[in-house]
Amino acid sequence: MKLELGIIPINDIQFGAESKVENGTIYVNADELKALILEDENLKSVELDIARPGESVRIMPVKDVIEPRVKVSGEGAMFPGMISKVAPVGSGRTNVLRGSAVVTTGKIVGFQEGIIDMTGEGSKYTPFSKLNNLVVVCEPIDGLAKHAHEKAVRMAGLKTADYIGKLAKDIVAEEVETFETVSVKEGIEKWPELPRIGYVLMLQSQGLMHDTYVYGVDAKQSLSTIIMPTEIMDGAIVSGNCVSACDKNTTYHHLNNPVIRDLFAQHGKTLNFVGVIITNENVYLADKMRSSDWSSKLCEWLGLDGAIVSQEGFGNPDTDLIMNCKKIEGKGVKTVIITDEYAGRDGASQSLADADAAANAVVTGGNANEVIHLPKMDKVIGYPEVADIIAGGFDGSLQADGSIVAELQVITGATNEMGFNPLSAR
Amino acid sequence: MYRIITNNQMCLVKYGDQIQVEYLDGQSYMDVLVKVRDYIQNGWCLETHPMTGSLKPNQTPYKSVMVSDRPVDKEEFYQQEITIENGITACRKFQSIRKTPDWPQNLLEDFQAVDLSLIEGAIQKIL
Amino acid sequence: MSKLRVVHYINQFFANIGGEEKADYKPELREGNVGPGLAFQQSFGEEAEIVATVICGDSYFNENVDSATATVLDMIKSQNPDLVICGPAFNAGRYGVACGTVAAAVKKEGIPVITGMYKENPGADMFKKEVYIVSTKNSAAGMRDAVKKMAPLALKVAKGEAIGASAEEGYLPNGIRKNFFEKKRGAERAVEMLIKKLNGKEFETEYEMPSFDRVAPGAAIKDMSKAKIALVTSGGIVPKGNPDHIESSSASKYGQYDIEGVTDLTAETYETAHGGYDPVYANEDADRVLPVDVINEFIKEGKIGSLHKYFYTTVGNGTAVANAKKFATEIGQKLVDDHVDAVILTST
Repeated sequence: MKLELGIIPINDIQFGAESKVENGTIYVNADELKALILEDENLKSVELDIARPGESVRIMPVKDVIEPRVKVSGEGAMFPGMISKVAPVGSGRTNVLRGSAVVTTGKIVGFQEGIIDMTGEGSKYTPFSKLNNLVVVCEPIDGLAKHAHEKAVRMAGLKTADYIGKLAKDIVAEEVETFETVSVKEGIEKWPELPRIGYVLMLQSQGLMHDTYVYGVDAKQSLSTIIMPTEIMDGAIVSGNCVSACDKNTTYHHLNNPVIRDLFAQHGKTLNFVGVIITNENVYLADKMRSSDWSSKLCEWLGLDGAIVSQEGFGNPDTDLIMNCKKIEGKGVKTVIITDEYAGRDGASQSLADADAAANAVVTGGNANEVIHLPKMDKVIGYPEVADIIAGGFDGSLQADGSIVAELQVITGATNEMGFNPLSAR
Repeated sequence: MYRIITNNQMCLVKYGDQIQVEYLDGQSYMDVLVKVRDYIQNGWCLETHPMTGSLKPNQTPYKSVMVSDRPVDKEEFYQQEITIENGITACRKFQSIRKTPDWPQNLLEDFQAVDLSLIEGAIQKIL
Repeated sequence: MSKLRVVHYINQFFANIGGEEKADYKPELREGNVGPGLAFQQSFGEEAEIVATVICGDSYFNENVDSATATVLDMIKSQNPDLVICGPAFNAGRYGVACGTVAAAVKKEGIPVITGMYKENPGADMFKKEVYIVSTKNSAAGMRDAVKKMAPLALKVAKGEAIGASAEEGYLPNGIRKNFFEKKRGAERAVEMLIKKLNGKEFETEYEMPSFDRVAPGAAIKDMSKAKIALVTSGGIVPKGNPDHIESSSASKYGQYDIEGVTDLTAETYETAHGGYDPVYANEDADRVLPVDVINEFIKEGKIGSLHKYFYTTVGNGTAVANAKKFATEIGQKLVDDHVDAVILTST
């Protein structure tokens, strides 16, 4: 399966009379887009705003971040099973509005988390400070149940990204990136000398605000399975996870999965990137056993020499991570695992909730308990009152001067467990 | 036989007449974990992970864990004992950073709803 | 600004006094820099000056730890230093332990200090959590490299500047996790690490998994009323005055004390040697840590056969795992030899 990504660099977003993409700028007709979003009868109102790199702007609480993309050719459309019909994506060409993102915010629960600062100390830790962000602030109808509220905001984000993406369908890309996964047989013939590497992608799947969808299927209802890396680039995996801002994988992370990109970068050179195994992080211990049995079995069956395992979230998934690592190593397949740490504010506590000697090659996204000081921003998009109740904030984390003293875990994407960032710890 | 150990009233109300629930009224997240440890040390089987959810143990006041009287072998016992001890250690770590705040009622209900949803996935499988 | 005053601690070998035959050399204070001190001095430039060097033989130091430490510390303090550098000791075991011991003692006085040694030097494991130990090569051939890493870190420590993560600054991981930005993102680091691991090349994990010993429980005692019970603690309970000078942290020894006939530990007779926690309640009534009183009640009631005449004690505070294992093996053997049926192990 072969996919071309047509890159269209974006350096600005503006509101305008006509929605279009021109000379690197996205113009958005706000009324038209709002009307589209409000077709969902569970939403009462919606506000749109723009946050650009370097602006004194804070977005909070962030629910999801999505990169606008559009299928130019090949089967299916973006986000299959969610906002387009179920059809295998991942081949043909997809245009990417690189440098832009749709950010959704909404108070699904009172303690909703996630901060993106566009400048200052906090901006160093979130990759989304470098993007031109179209922010969608959603208000639900009164008395809407939480499950429905979460879904409404999730769909609003996908619809908006799809709407923006489609504006670029006919634009000729400046640069084209090509990714191809060949069959198991062809791979063996083509690169007999190279180590066969797989990627075990763990998906958050525990319940309300802790879910991930694959072609529209709730990941906790599925067994571990194989997916083509390019399918993920076309939106086959969508985040429904709103908890633990620093180490949740947003839809943007899935679309731009760094492990997939960095394995492709070495594909055919130092390794043969065989494919991606997705597995879940359920609460039921029997499910954990079954899913890790299955993922290790798939690693063995694919004849892998090595595998990278990435995680999502805190606590419970540590056990899935260690089970996967231990069982995959047990099959004779060498592993590197990617995680993050909760080592306490002083960095002296035990970092993970599980451990095993088999996990002897670990990449860390950093200590999420480390305290940072976020300066006051001129403008807050979203709900400023949540600053005081976000996870990790001190009581009164909102200082009199408008600055926030908080743990790194409040920053969206700060300690990402796919290895999206340079941040690490020792 | 399955049993839910919980301090979440919403869980008791919704499932109290379908499954055994040991309801720890007014007790803490840590109290639930310690109670679960008692069960494990008395030969019960841990069915759900004690650290369900990405909410931190100093953030949500609620915890629901499922145990059963399914026989466990020595290896399973070790694993489960380590899992619950790690949970207790993590809980203690977060409590030492900051105690769980005294949340207002509307937030408490939100936390209950999320905790219920986390354990619900497991309950649905055994009902 | 005036130059920082530095005192350098080295052994007899690096002071060009001699090798093993001179290892019993007693502590000596010399003005200015000696041996490797020159390289440090050159690296410091105008910022700092080595005002004195303290030299001590490795055997002498290790055979007279308490008195040697006190003497060396006095010599160092007499120079009013702003900074102390110990070693580097590379892979010399006794020198490493001496450097670590001196550095830890200096640090307790509130004087900025660093040392350096090879990661497998026994001194590294014993002291890496207490003081900054720069990771060096395993022989003196690595001196240039060691000075290059130690001198800048030493100046930072002396000036009270923020110290970055171990990987940035070059010190041995000390269990304190600190964030920093790598040059490459995590995913790329993971791919590189995996390739190294597959090719059998050396790679460095970014997080060392804690390893837990798993001990199978002993068989249950059928009749407690006939059992001989011993008390062992890592809570530091010792006879008043701590006769064997068990250290309040990083203990290098354990004590064996006779409690035949003792039915209650009182504030007048026992205390705790343990640092790192509030000792008030343990000192008030040491039974709170080592339950001699309750055991005797149980014996009277016939629940327990007898109490072993010795109890064993050490301090668990920061004690190196290697030491703890050694103590446990020795204590365990003694208990077996004395036909003890069961042990109550208490901590703090």
